[in-house]
Amino acid sequence: MYNIIAVDISGRHKINDRYYMVCAAVSVSITAEHIERVNQIKIKPFWLDSAPELTDIIQVIEDTAKEIEFGGTIITEHGEMYNQPERVVASMFSREFKYQESLGDRSSIELAHHISLCTRNLLLSELGIES
Amino acid sequence: MKRVILVQRNEPTNDESRNIRKLIELQDLARSANYKVVGDVTQTRRPDRKYQIGRGKVEELALMMEELGADGIIFSNQLSTTQIYNISETCKCEVIDKFQLILEIFAKRATTKRSKLQVELAKLQYELPKAKAIMSLLKKEERPGFMGLGSYEDSYEQDIRSRINRIKKELASVQKDNESLRIKRHEYGFSIVSLAGYTSSGKSTLFNALVDEDVHVEDMLFTTLLPITRALNICGRRVLLTDTVGFIEDLPHWMIDAFRSTLNEIFLADVILLVVDASESPDIMRQKLVTSHDTFWEQIKGVPIITVLNKIDRITENELKERLENVGYLTPNPVAVSAKNGLGFDELKNEIYRQLPKWKRETVSLPMSEYGMSIVSWLFNEGIVHNINYKDRIIVDFEARDEIILKARIIEKKDKHGHNHMFT
Repeated sequence: MYNIIAVDISGRHKINDRYYMVCAAVSVSITAEHIERVNQIKIKPFWLDSAPELTDIIQVIEDTAKEIEFGGTIITEHGEMYNQPERVVASMFSREFKYQESLGDRSSIELAHHISLCTRNLLLSELGIES
Repeated sequence: MKRVILVQRNEPTNDESRNIRKLIELQDLARSANYKVVGDVTQTRRPDRKYQIGRGKVEELALMMEELGADGIIFSNQLSTTQIYNISETCKCEVIDKFQLILEIFAKRATTKRSKLQVELAKLQYELPKAKAIMSLLKKEERPGFMGLGSYEDSYEQDIRSRINRIKKELASVQKDNESLRIKRHEYGFSIVSLAGYTSSGKSTLFNALVDEDVHVEDMLFTTLLPITRALNICGRRVLLTDTVGFIEDLPHWMIDAFRSTLNEIFLADVILLVVDASESPDIMRQKLVTSHDTFWEQIKGVPIITVLNKIDRITENELKERLENVGYLTPNPVAVSAKNGLGFDELKNEIYRQLPKWKRETVSLPMSEYGMSIVSWLFNEGIVHNINYKDRIIVDFEARDEIILKARIIEKKDKHGHNHMFT
């Protein structure tokens, strides 16, 4: 069993000329095939005026993940980083990073995805923004 | 045996080790399809629209063909119809890509009606997007129809589409039969265990060693195209073990779809044995495990996986330890075995037993009569009898699935109330 921080960002498309994004970082203890324990969850909204670039995405992830008190490698889907090679993306992070590999990694990202998506929908409806 | 040259265009962003692995895989594939590899050419660059690799490299390739006396070229990258046409015009030989090669292998190995249908479907799906381009290249000069306003392309494409539909319908009916067979197996108290894993990881050897049979095993890729199922006894539980087709990196979706019914055997199992070649380098093992996890992800939810580290006779204990440290995070429930020497089989069987759907343990009391004895014999067939005591009544301590326990309890209850139903 080991700790990872699974990250997912929702809302990378334009609505009313802005990008309303929500990043969810989930610290979990996992085995190769299951999530064993959820340690901590952090959610942060980010409003951008222009389309997010790779550096913006990395900043968003770093900002959310630094609030997690538990250690562990940051793990995302390939698409999150515009399918850039792992070594390119990893070199841009200030901490350890890798793409999803095991079933445990994938389940954790799925969890982060549900959290970020639900939070974003809730925020948009609270703010009265049509999605 | 046809002599061929292998060509691979590497993406500038790819790791060197991945490129080498892909080339070795292509060599194995070519060997499986009975080709003799006489040379290989690689180039690192972005794809060329006309030739896939650089034009100069294609000219070099043409010279190399003459020098080595090769009859064909196999590309590792997927080629468009125009690229195939242009390269074969320059090199004056047959040019195919990896996917066509895989299809060739599948076509050679397909023996039953179902696998033949699957191969034809995959072939047609490969051909469909190329249909228009093929026709316009072949009939460059001709203009069909009134005043040359008609076209060959549409009718050819339509023809392929209708054939695809027909095959899909036929396959669906074959698949239905298989599914009902699977449900029946569950009803008869069999649990289903599937062997999965990368090609050439030793699934068939392990299958043979476990069930003590002689399934065709060769040092080639894709020797198993159709799932083979045999019964096996694991610590008293009756289990059906299925050998399946191996995974391969970057298999296109249309091919996975066409062979879905083969992979279904894996996805509907109660336990999956993920076989991995432990004698390979940790990096290659990691890549192959990621491919396997990738294939599993969408399809299996909650099915336990046992990672079988095969071929441990080829490595030392320290090497095995090192590999487990490196790829441990990708290996659920690892068990080290050697299918060749039978090493570690007991641990593997115990692990399978641990992961099988749980059976409950129960004690029933049956009358000491012919009827009671028939129930005992039925319990021996359906479950595991741990203890049996013949006194005034027969006390049976047994383990079985829920339905059997329920039936046994009903029989016991009816008997106590004086009913004496014959068990059917």
